[in-house]
Amino acid sequence: MLKNRVKELRARFNLTQGDLAEKTGVTRQTIVSLEKGSYTPSLLLAINIAEVFGEPIEQIFYKEDDATK
Amino acid sequence: MRMYITVILRCLLFAAMALSVYDYVKINQYFELFGRGYIDEFSLYVTTWRGTFLSIVTILLIIFNVIDFIVVKKKKNALLKEYILSEYDVSDERAVEITGKAVRYAFVFIIFYTIVLLASYMFIPNYFLDYPWYPIFTTASIPILGLIIYLITFKYFHAR
Repeated sequence: MLKNRVKELRARFNLTQGDLAEKTGVTRQTIVSLEKGSYTPSLLLAINIAEVFGEPIEQIFYKEDDATK
Repeated sequence: MRMYITVILRCLLFAAMALSVYDYVKINQYFELFGRGYIDEFSLYVTTWRGTFLSIVTILLIIFNVIDFIVVKKKKNALLKEYILSEYDVSDERAVEITGKAVRYAFVFIIFYTIVLLASYMFIPNYFLDYPWYPIFTTASIPILGLIIYLITFKYFHAR
């Protein structure tokens, strides 16, 4: 299961879901389900999100068992 | 909303086609029975509303598809290469993935439903003359129910 810090980073960057959707080229609904963890993004979308937040992909997306280590 | 409209119009198109074919078959069947001497006389009520209904639905569907294609083409994030039918949502990668999932569910339904229908056609010799509507409307029900399954599945996964 892939987890992410998108919601936390979005709040830190003061972005709305619509803003992030616009910047990454997807719909707001996709950002919503991404934050809920019910959607695993493509590599391209993950790179786009990482570029928006200026962080490496692995700092934003991680496997669930990695978080417990 | 656009998916609801497309699916409803497509279902209406299949239903309208089935109604028109049924009318044609019924009328020709009377002539066939009369020609072979099974009946001495018959009366017919010919109506044009079914043909008109079919034409209206076809025109509406074509207009809607053209408008839909223009709207999709104008969306900068839409994945145009995935656009085959107006039922397909190509607004972004998640929509395309869900479309694929919904199509898979509809496909499974169509496969099993077709088996059941084909098996039911074994009874045709017994009442084909009395119930010519059966093979026509059951055939039309394959894409109609398939589309409904597709719509329900898409909306279910899209809301998650």
